[in-house]
Amino acid sequence: MSLVIKNLTKQYNQHKTGLSDYSITIEKGILGLLGPNGAGKSTLMKIIATISKPTKGTLFLDGEDIVTNPDHIRKVLGYLPQDFGVYPNLNAYEFLEYIAAMKGVGGNGLRKRIDMLLEGVNLIADAKRPIGTYSGGMKQRIGIAQALLNDPKVLIFDEPTVGLDPEERVRFRQLISDMADDCIIILSSHIVSDIETIADEVAIMKNGILLTKGIQADIINHVEGKVVETLASTDEVAQIKAKHLIINTSRQKDKTRVRYITNQPEMGAAPVNAGLEDAYLFLTHNNA
Amino acid sequence: MKYIYSIIKADYQQRTRSYSFLITLAITMYAAYSFVPPPTASYTTLTIVGYKGIYNSAWVGYVSGMMTAIMLSMYGFFLVNGGIKKDIDTEVGLIIATTPITNFGYLLSKMLSNFMVLLTIAGVTFLVSIVLFFLRTTGYPFLISTFLIPYLLFVVPALFFISALAVVAEVFLKKGAMWQYIAFIFLFGIIMSNVTNTKSSSAIIFMDSFGIKTMTGSIENKINKQYHTTLSKGVSMGFIFNTKHTDVKLFEWNGITITGLFLISRLFWLTFPLALVYLSSFFFHRFDFRQSPGKKIKKLKNEQIADSPLPALAGFNRALLPPVVTDYGILPFIKTELLLLLRKGSKWTWLFLGSIWVSIFFVPLDIAHAYILPILWFLQVTRLSELATKEETYRLHYFTYASYKPLQRMLPAQILAGVVLAIALASPLIARYLIASNGNAIIDILGGAVFIVLFAVCLGILSQGKKLYEILLFLITYALIEKAPMVDYLGAIKHNSHIGYMAIVLVINIFLLLVSLTVRQYRSRHL
Repeated sequence: MSLVIKNLTKQYNQHKTGLSDYSITIEKGILGLLGPNGAGKSTLMKIIATISKPTKGTLFLDGEDIVTNPDHIRKVLGYLPQDFGVYPNLNAYEFLEYIAAMKGVGGNGLRKRIDMLLEGVNLIADAKRPIGTYSGGMKQRIGIAQALLNDPKVLIFDEPTVGLDPEERVRFRQLISDMADDCIIILSSHIVSDIETIADEVAIMKNGILLTKGIQADIINHVEGKVVETLASTDEVAQIKAKHLIINTSRQKDKTRVRYITNQPEMGAAPVNAGLEDAYLFLTHNNA
Repeated sequence: MKYIYSIIKADYQQRTRSYSFLITLAITMYAAYSFVPPPTASYTTLTIVGYKGIYNSAWVGYVSGMMTAIMLSMYGFFLVNGGIKKDIDTEVGLIIATTPITNFGYLLSKMLSNFMVLLTIAGVTFLVSIVLFFLRTTGYPFLISTFLIPYLLFVVPALFFISALAVVAEVFLKKGAMWQYIAFIFLFGIIMSNVTNTKSSSAIIFMDSFGIKTMTGSIENKINKQYHTTLSKGVSMGFIFNTKHTDVKLFEWNGITITGLFLISRLFWLTFPLALVYLSSFFFHRFDFRQSPGKKIKKLKNEQIADSPLPALAGFNRALLPPVVTDYGILPFIKTELLLLLRKGSKWTWLFLGSIWVSIFFVPLDIAHAYILPILWFLQVTRLSELATKEETYRLHYFTYASYKPLQRMLPAQILAGVVLAIALASPLIARYLIASNGNAIIDILGGAVFIVLFAVCLGILSQGKKLYEILLFLITYALIEKAPMVDYLGAIKHNSHIGYMAIVLVINIFLLLVSLTVRQYRSRHL
């Protein structure tokens, strides 16, 4: 199974471009999308989910053009949008039955399938309450359950861990890791650690352009040997900030631990292992 | 006061920067054009049996002002109502609740932004009325004062009062839009019965929020004086159709005499709304529904429940899930759509609707068809207006548009669910016509049921909101009860050619369906 995107452009108006000549091939496994706000992640996901038409370019799922034939992907699509809602007067069963109808899922096994999915996202105890009474995390979990209703082959999760507590995030990661063997999973998140933990491949975007795509190790190679840490006073922090790209700062008694990227480290700075977040900030900063 | 100004400005901009407001303005321009009908028109807006006013500057200005005060008050409530609910739905209210703004300050700002919206529309009718003077009148001078006086003394206080009523209704009737509409229609009926009262006294003039009792009294006096008569039927206001133009006596009227009592009355209707809003501020929930006075705390059922603790991080085994069986039918949609329609509204609302439904069995057939059914259908306005807008309101459209063949399955299901509800409500009347073997009437009712649903769907999709449909259905229902033949969507009025009438309803329904499908198809791929 592969999703081939070629020269995709989304022009909202004269001044606003969502995607610019974007090409990528996505195979089975988990692709993590990283990028600052306005990078075009949601635009790309909406186009793949067929709810937004590209201005130019093509999308083929297993050789079938899904711009002209969107129903081809819709049958096998699970989509969790960033800013979705629910009908507050329905309970979890009714809501999932409704979404199942949208996805064309029925039959005698539907109720059992819903039961198991609700169990999987730990909502079975509250399944008969109106969804309007759910907390943010519970709504997010019902969103995850609906995405899995039709045994999807293409899963799109736009910021899926928003509103989930740390335990739920771990559970979510485990859940989608299990599915990655025979599905295309596209996942966007601002939380780099979420992507770092589960993504097989990472694509970094900025201003509607694909900066890089590859396995994590290759992406981290961009900054290998350039990441250093040092303890600095307030004045020194300001100096480092002026000369280098700061990744992180944390207070330690009267000093500040500073992690930054550089080719010429300051005195006393020690090299450390680079991570995905370092590479991400380096790439998006260098392509400003 | 600075923050109140900011709230008014933001609220005003938010309301006026919408397609539905633009469409409302366009409809208002057309309505304003009809406020002063040409002398040969088949309807009148100010009727004195046997007499007709000459179209001079005063007549055009005052009639336009009077009609704007009445009509804009009537549909303006529907237009501006819901400002607080919007803050609840968007959760902006929670932010507002944490600011230093007082309850009165907040409600006052809502009232004033309502007023600004209505005033904008009144400004349009004012300009149209001036254009109308030059279109309808020849040989009489244009006097700007005859346009300014009715708009300043009739329209402004009337709209001020309506703006306050919309806020007060939301404070006391909270989110129950239908009950707010019923209460308003009831109150509006009382106000109009006072205005149309043939008796005239200082108290009646004082209590007239529109101020037009003074105008109709002045017209009556003019006719009585000019023709040495005593008008028995008085002056009627509003659209009256099938007017005959034979044997009418002309009179020239030059406007009202402004008395001290009239001015005090106008001043009262500018201060009374403020007092109403001030009083209601003591009962305002300030977006904390559990602490609003006089309301019992609802237990866990309606409260947000806490997250349950997570069990072991097991996930689930996909291999154990039952296999997916495809079913692309629309019956499950219809079921859910009906469920959503039924669950909107409290049991008291359904009890109230049920009592009207039962009454259709017993009242005379023509009354049931011409009055009870259109009213019962109108009372579904908040349900039907949501039919095609709720996905976007509840941000579910991402799922809908990404689903398999959404246009061919979702939209028909919504329409069918709406039609099923409308027919169920009309079923006593259909049963009675069935017993009377009146097939034409049954077809008309079915056509009407399809119309009100398609009209809701089409306007909802076009305007991406509920207001436009709510206002237009109200105006259509009002005009239908006034026996206006061109709005008869359910065959309540006799038509010369029944086949021709049915064909028109059918064509309109097909047109509405095609527009709905076309626009929805475009939107579903352009989020």
